[in-house]
Amino acid sequence: MAIVVRLDEKLHERRMTLTELSERVDITLANLSILKTGKARAIRFSTLEAICAALDCQPGDLLVFDPAQPSEE
Amino acid sequence: MTDSPNALALTRPVIRGLIILNALYAFAIGALLVATLLYPPLLFKALGVPEGEGAWELRTALRAVVVVGLVGAYVAYRVLRELLAIVDTVRIGDPFVAGNARRLQAIAWWVLAGEVLRMLVAAIAWAADKAVPSFGIDFDIAFSFAPWLAVLLLFVLARVFEQGARMRADLEGTV
Repeated sequence: MAIVVRLDEKLHERRMTLTELSERVDITLANLSILKTGKARAIRFSTLEAICAALDCQPGDLLVFDPAQPSEE
Repeated sequence: MTDSPNALALTRPVIRGLIILNALYAFAIGALLVATLLYPPLLFKALGVPEGEGAWELRTALRAVVVVGLVGAYVAYRVLRELLAIVDTVRIGDPFVAGNARRLQAIAWWVLAGEVLRMLVAAIAWAADKAVPSFGIDFDIAFSFAPWLAVLLLFVLARVFEQGARMRADLEGTV
């Protein structure tokens, strides 16, 4: 997937763990894990909004388009 | 799901029971076929097939119907097996999988095959009746819309499940 999720970097910047984020945005740790490892196929706007609010960032900070990555069939 | 869980729990033993009944049926008519080959006079006398004129036609027709019946038992077995597999996915709680779409489509084809077999039996009985009108074969195989409608419905349902499985897969990766 040429869309890269940079949740890990943002969490690192904010000195926050995935568990903490999960508690703040009320999204299960399992789902956040899927997002973090780039296994998600889609992201709800509500999820994006909650994460952006919790990490005080923009969607563009979390999602990056990287043409070098192999695109999904 | 509006169905009560009890109905679902009951479905499995019912289908299993039907598979056993179907196997018994296949065994019984298989034994009938073997009997007509091993002791023709005894059995045909018991069934009221007359000796002499037309006997060969009637015997051949009876054997042909039995063979079609055996194929029909296999068709019924396949339908029941597929149905059992679908019921199992419902019990597990994830029926919207690609496998079920394929299974429904398989059931549709098998039901279609079963209906063709039914028509074949009707054709055999009709031909036997034409050949030996004096015997007066009592065949009660009327054309029915219900199975054809069921086949159509099954094909549509298979497509619905295919779509559902795709949507389900999409939802699976949505966070």
